[in-house]
Amino acid sequence: MISTKALIIIILLILISPVFGIILADIVGYHEPLDVAAELLGLKDIGEEINWTPFFDYKVPGLPDVIGYIISGFIGVGIILGIGYIAYKIAGGMKRKEA
Amino acid sequence: MHIPDGFLDIVTIIVTYAIFIMYLAYSLLKAKGISADKISLATVLAAGIFATQMLNWPLPGGTSLHFVGGALAGILLGPWLGFLTMFLVLFIQCIVFHDGGITALGANVLNMGIIGVLVGYYIFTVTNKVVREARKARIIGAFLGGWISVIVAGIACGLEIGFSPACPYGVCVTVPVMGSWHAVLGVIEGIITALVVDYIALKAPHIIQGVGVVHK
Repeated sequence: MISTKALIIIILLILISPVFGIILADIVGYHEPLDVAAELLGLKDIGEEINWTPFFDYKVPGLPDVIGYIISGFIGVGIILGIGYIAYKIAGGMKRKEA
Repeated sequence: MHIPDGFLDIVTIIVTYAIFIMYLAYSLLKAKGISADKISLATVLAAGIFATQMLNWPLPGGTSLHFVGGALAGILLGPWLGFLTMFLVLFIQCIVFHDGGITALGANVLNMGIIGVLVGYYIFTVTNKVVREARKARIIGAFLGGWISVIVAGIACGLEIGFSPACPYGVCVTVPVMGSWHAVLGVIEGIITALVVDYIALKAPHIIQGVGVVHK
């Protein structure tokens, strides 16, 4: 379903992603502008009261941010590929039925 | 461009959710019977866009730049499957990583999944009809599609935030701020979109959904 070349590119992107998402962000003091604006305006984030995910903000509890970011990347891509694989199998099954 | 929780009022939340749910239902109907190969391509593209969006380039001054991918999805997969691809990315980001608020999911899908994909797709299509030379057409079309899709999505984001009573700044402030900032950042989106579309058109032209000129 996915070529080796595409998979390697995606894995490389995930592996280098903390350089941008965590390390450089810390160096330049980056925070998501709309999140900063929400904080300044005193807006309520529903996630602070009801947290439905352990991977809040691409972090994994108990792990350093850089490792958590990479694992989050693999979790996200894994879920997407899993959903895609199910859809792929359903589409393949429907085609076989029509034939 | 991911709107967090708290920004939108209840009316905006309901309207944007209603639009995205209806659009999702219609897209699923349009995508019915689609080939397994197309689903495979959409899945790989969704995974690629998700991974690319994690490369958040922080810029001094407190903002950042990351690839959105709506125009690319529209150009490569067409408006319906392109939307479903972006929806999958945005849904996983929101539900699994709380990237973008749950109350703002409708607005975020509307901005990046519907507007971003449609604007990119139609600009690419029109450009390919207007410009005669195939390669020039696809590069210009993909660049303009990527760039303008981000600007329009940014303006939509500004409208949603500006109209909400939770935000003290009206649309007179939020729309120019979001529109002008995304006009600058969108240039990079346009360049990446053009490079990827040109590369794919050269290597595997059959997967480009746009008009016939790219198949020459």
